[in-house]
Amino acid sequence: MNKANIAGYAGTSWRDWLFAYAPYIGIGIILLIIPAFISTYFQSLLTKVLIFAIFAMSLDLILGYTGLLSLGHAAYLGVAGYTAGLLIARLGLTSFWIVAPAAIVMAGIAAAIIGYISLRVSGVYFLLVTLAFGQLLSVVAVKWRAVTGGTDGLVGIIYPDFGIPGLTLTDTNYYYLVFIAFAVCFFLLYRLINSPFGKALVGIRENESRMKCLGYNTWAHKYIAFIVSGLFAGVAGVLFAPFYGIMVPGHLGLMTSSSVMLMVVIGGAGTLFGPVIGAIVVLLLEHFASIYTPERWPLILGVVFVICVLFIRGGFGFHLSKFWSRLRIRYGNAES
Amino acid sequence: MNVILANLLIGISFGFILFLLGTGLSLTMGLMRVVNLAHGALYMFGAYVGLTAARYSGNFAIGILAGGLSAGLLGLIMETGFLRRMYKQEMSQVLLTIGFVYILTNVTQWIWGPIPQSGVIPEFLSGSVPIGNITIPIFRLTIIAFGLIAAAVLWLFQEKTRIGAIIRAGMDNREMTMGLGINLKVVFTGVFALGAFIAGFCGLIGAPSLGINLGVGWDALLLAMIVVIVGGTGSIQGALVGGLVIGLVDAYGKAFFPEFAYFTMYLVLIIILLFRPSGLMGRAMQ
Repeated sequence: MNKANIAGYAGTSWRDWLFAYAPYIGIGIILLIIPAFISTYFQSLLTKVLIFAIFAMSLDLILGYTGLLSLGHAAYLGVAGYTAGLLIARLGLTSFWIVAPAAIVMAGIAAAIIGYISLRVSGVYFLLVTLAFGQLLSVVAVKWRAVTGGTDGLVGIIYPDFGIPGLTLTDTNYYYLVFIAFAVCFFLLYRLINSPFGKALVGIRENESRMKCLGYNTWAHKYIAFIVSGLFAGVAGVLFAPFYGIMVPGHLGLMTSSSVMLMVVIGGAGTLFGPVIGAIVVLLLEHFASIYTPERWPLILGVVFVICVLFIRGGFGFHLSKFWSRLRIRYGNAES
Repeated sequence: MNVILANLLIGISFGFILFLLGTGLSLTMGLMRVVNLAHGALYMFGAYVGLTAARYSGNFAIGILAGGLSAGLLGLIMETGFLRRMYKQEMSQVLLTIGFVYILTNVTQWIWGPIPQSGVIPEFLSGSVPIGNITIPIFRLTIIAFGLIAAAVLWLFQEKTRIGAIIRAGMDNREMTMGLGINLKVVFTGVFALGAFIAGFCGLIGAPSLGINLGVGWDALLLAMIVVIVGGTGSIQGALVGGLVIGLVDAYGKAFFPEFAYFTMYLVLIIILLFRPSGLMGRAMQ
């Protein structure tokens, strides 16, 4: 096994190349042309799925790859969403090129502060502390009515403006914007995870004291991973706010944090497309459950949580990737 | 002066509620390394069941006991049916217990409806007594007395009984304890059910401070978590110190900085995490 294969790149054979990239290319093409065939209703559902897929991938970087149990991840989505919302709805700054960087940076700053404090403890204590900070921010959103609109929410968040003449964001264009952001985030996270830094994160997950002995500054690795994860959650947040048109305190809180955690775990923590599958499954379930029994949706969600942990060990993504690599070995002359 | 004294009593009585809330969580976290996010939901369920039982029987004590028993039974089911299969798998535990929160909250809504319950304090406890030149609600004094008794009982249980010694041993060294021929599985089940029992027991007692509504489960969980982090896990003393510190901070915060009342306890949390991450009375972590 040579270095190229370790890094996840295909070997020399065209078959290897095909098998390595076919899923990505196939899914990419499907996502690119699908708006032409589905109703605007499902297009908006698909937009939501892609936004949550970015969000779930960002959580997976620390949850699945680094082994940090964060249950406050909605905080960064929410901070970015509220920042974007404030700039667009309150200050009237609709330029995408101002709103997006500002919101993502704010999410990064929030992650830097919360990460600094919560990384002093580990394991389940880390989980409790991140959860507490997520709730803290959602209470700030409730109480700081003058800025956030309190429980009524921050309303009137319109699509940002690209400043390109002739290009106004319709729902379909917004879908493509989200799709591009998703593709870019996927690519960046893929490179990050397959970089030496990403490998070190997996090492920390598996055995932190050994990584320390090897001379890695594990605290700094975890801290940087936490901030990067917050930045990607911020990307999801920027897309999230104009899509919903409103930010409410619940978006920062535990409901959002736990359902994104469910997405990661259902799909398969520690794989990059697992969270994407998880986002699809959870949002489709939510969609159909909320059509048929909006009253009992939390009950169904709760049962889904229980069933998932009991029966789908490792997640859908894990089983799918095993299936795919079996195909690769049989037909693609792959070494691994 | 009166403000300080009155808030001292309010803070202490709230502190004892927090202590009761935190002990169960602290016990299960210390011994089993299980973070039970359904702790608050068990509290809420206990409060609803307790209130109903108290209304039907006309006896407040029966209500409190019924709340405790119902939550304890649920805890028993949760541990033996589900949690037992996933020790040392934190992510599974987290999702499982969150799943139970959703289920419990929705079932509670199904049975009791979405409207918050009222009429919590029974008649014989609703008066107040003048002490010096301030008046104190009898209910707060009862909570303090009750909290002291509960703390004493739990402390004696942990420090002076055989089962308490087994629990402490299990916290310090699990393998060694099992090596001595102790069936830790049974102890785990018992401790988890006990933690759930205390949570449900606390439901009706905490009701005048926290209310009985569908959102109270998350509030209670958050308070319990803060108490556990500030006090440190695994000991009755830790939960007691954490509860009293947070109770007092909250009471004085509400009195002097009403605008920022909610955030004062977070300030304590942050300071503790920065300077003493294992909590005020904590055993060394992991």
